[in-house]
Amino acid sequence: MTTTSAPSETGLTSHAAKRWVQRHGWTFGIWILLFVLVAWYTTLIPKFGGFQASTVLAGGTAWIFLGVAQAVVVIAGGIDLGVGGLLVLSSVAAAQLMDGQSSGAIVLIAILIILCAAMLNGFVGWVVSVSKVPDIVVTLGSLYIYQGLALMVLPKVGGGTSGPFRWIFTGSESGIGSNPWPVIAVIAIPIIIVAWWLGRTRRGLSLYAVGSDRTAAFLSGVHASRTKIVSYAVAGVFAALAGFSSVSISGVGNPTTEGGNLTLNSVAAIVLGGVALTGGIGSVIAVVPASMILFFFNPILSALGVNPSQAQVPQGVLIVLVMMAAGLIEWRRRRRS
Amino acid sequence: MSEAPATISQDTPGDPPPAKPSVMGRLAARPQLVLVAVLIVLIVVTGLVEPNYFSATGLRNSLLWAIPIGILAAGQTILMLTGGIDLSIAMIATASAYVAANQSPNGALFAIGVGLLVGLISGTLNGVGVGVFKVNPLIMTLAMAGILLGLFTGWATTIFAGGTRMHEVITTIGRGTFFGGNVPWAALVWAVVSVAVIVLLRRTGFGRNLYALGDNAIASRLSGIRAWQVLIVAYAMSGILGSIAGLLVGGRIGAVDLQLVGFLLLPSVAAVVIGGTSIFGGVGTYTGTILGALILGVLQSLLTFLGTGQAVQQVLYGTIVVGLSWMYTRLAASR
Repeated sequence: MTTTSAPSETGLTSHAAKRWVQRHGWTFGIWILLFVLVAWYTTLIPKFGGFQASTVLAGGTAWIFLGVAQAVVVIAGGIDLGVGGLLVLSSVAAAQLMDGQSSGAIVLIAILIILCAAMLNGFVGWVVSVSKVPDIVVTLGSLYIYQGLALMVLPKVGGGTSGPFRWIFTGSESGIGSNPWPVIAVIAIPIIIVAWWLGRTRRGLSLYAVGSDRTAAFLSGVHASRTKIVSYAVAGVFAALAGFSSVSISGVGNPTTEGGNLTLNSVAAIVLGGVALTGGIGSVIAVVPASMILFFFNPILSALGVNPSQAQVPQGVLIVLVMMAAGLIEWRRRRRS
Repeated sequence: MSEAPATISQDTPGDPPPAKPSVMGRLAARPQLVLVAVLIVLIVVTGLVEPNYFSATGLRNSLLWAIPIGILAAGQTILMLTGGIDLSIAMIATASAYVAANQSPNGALFAIGVGLLVGLISGTLNGVGVGVFKVNPLIMTLAMAGILLGLFTGWATTIFAGGTRMHEVITTIGRGTFFGGNVPWAALVWAVVSVAVIVLLRRTGFGRNLYALGDNAIASRLSGIRAWQVLIVAYAMSGILGSIAGLLVGGRIGAVDLQLVGFLLLPSVAAVVIGGTSIFGGVGTYTGTILGALILGVLQSLLTFLGTGQAVQQVLYGTIVVGLSWMYTRLAASR
C-alpha cells in the first residue's frame, strides 16, 4: 500500500517522503534491524554459507508462520493464545499419521490436517463470537485443550514423516540441508497470498474494518462475526503449517512442547512487526522479519556461548524493551496530534 | 481486543438489585446464587461417581485444590478490575516456592520472608512496566513469566542449587490441619486473605480507585487518581498473593521444581471469569471469585475420580471452564 503524489515540486516530494516514512518507517526499520543481526551473526561463526542460511531460515519458519497466524487474528480485533497449542497438535498429528506412508498419502494427510486445524480454530472463533466470553479466556482454554489433544494423539515423543515432506520445509530430506530455496518458497507463497487477500480483497479488508471499529464495520454491512471466525480459521491454517515445519526439522513429534511459550513469541513478533494489539492496524509482511529477529536470538546467543535454556531471559527482556519503545512512540504520537 | 464491554453490573453495597418477577430474572439479579447451585450440583455428581467423596477427607481434598486457585485468583481479580491480567502469577508462585525451599535451612521465617520478597519484586516490576511504561499487561506479564523461568532455570544449578525441600513450618501450613484433622491450616490462610481482599475492595479508597481505573481510565485521571501508582501497588499485591499461593502449594507437596504451579494459571483466570468479574475492568467482586475457585476445586476432584489420563483431564478441564464462563456470561447478559 504505497502512496504516490505528483513529484513536480520539491515541496510535494518531501511531503510524500514524509508520508512514506510515517507509513512504512517501522517496517523498513525492522528489515534493517534484521540485516544488521544477520551481518553480525556472520561475523560470529567461522563460515556462513548456504548450509547455515538454510538451517537458520528453516528454524525460523515455524516462528514466521505462528507470527502470521497471530497477526491475522489480532488485526481482526481478537487474540489467540491457543496457536502455540495448535502448532503442537498439528506437528504430533503429522508425526503420528505420516509415519511410513507413501508420498501421495502424505500430501492428502497434510491437506486434511490443515483443514481440521482451520475448522478447529474456526470453531474457537465461533465460540468467541457467540458466547461473548472474552477471547483471552476462550483461547487460553483452547490452548489447554489443544495440548491435551496432542497428548492423546501421540502420548510420547515419536512418529515420523517422509523425506520429500521434510524437503519442502527444510530443503533436504534429512531435515538439514544447504538448499534454502524450498524454504523460501514455502514461506513466501502462503504469506504473499494472505497479504494480498488482506490488503486487496473485500473479504480480507473486512478484517481490518472489524478490528478497527467493530460497530462501524457492522453498520457498514460487514458481517462482523463471520469475519472473526474466518480470522481464527486462517490462523489455524498457519498454525498447522508451523507445526509441519517443526516436525520436518526434528523428524519426530513431541507432545510435551510448551505451546504457551510459542504463543508468547508470536505475540511479541506481531508487536515488533507493527501490528497494534487493539486491532485494525498492521501488515503481515512486516511480521516476517520481526519473527526472524526474535528467532535469531537463539543462534546468536549460542554463538556467543550462552546456555540456550537461559535464552528466555534476554528474549523476555528484549520483548519488554520493544513494547516500552512502542508505547513511548505511541504516546509521543498522541501528544503531537 | 476492541470488543464492546459486556456490562455485568454487580450489586454494590446499598443498591437493591432491580427484581424481575420471573425465576430467570431473579437468578440473573443474584448471579452468585447460580454459582452456588452449580457448586452443589458438582458436589452431588462427584459423590455419585465416588461414594466416598461425601466425607471430610473427600471434601477437604477439593478444598485443598481450591485454596491456591482462590489465592491466585485474588491477585487476578484485583488486576482484572483495572482491566489488566497477570499471566506471570503462576511462575511467580513457583519461583517464590523455589526460593523458600532453598532457604529453608535458614529458618522458617527467613524462608517465608524471602519467598514473599520474590513476589513483591516481580509484581512491582510488572506494575512499573504496565503503569509507567504503558506496556500491555498481557505482554508484560507473559514476558515476566518467561524471564523468571529463564532466570531460575539458570539459577537452579548455581545460586539456588541444593535443597528443594520445604521447611517443616511451611509444610505444616500447606497440608496440616487443626480441629481434629478436619480444617486445613491452608484454609485459614485463605480465609484471612479473603477477608483482607474483600475489605480492600469494598471499604478502602484504594479499592474504589481500582474500580474507577477499570471503568473509565480517562475520568479517573481527570479526577486526580495517579494511575501508575495504583497499578504498581496492584501488581505488587498480585505478586505477593502469588507468593503466598506458591508457598502453600510447595508446602503441600513438600518439594519444589520449576513446574510447580504452572498448571494453575488457567484455573486462576477461569475462577475470576466464572465468578463474574469482567475482564475489561470496572466490574466484579472477590466473593464470586471464591465461588469460582470452589467450583474448580470440586471439578478437579471429579476429574481425578473419573480416572481418565492426564490428557483427557486437560481437554475436559478446558472445555468445562469455557462452558461455565459461557453460561455465566449468558446469564449476566440477560439482565
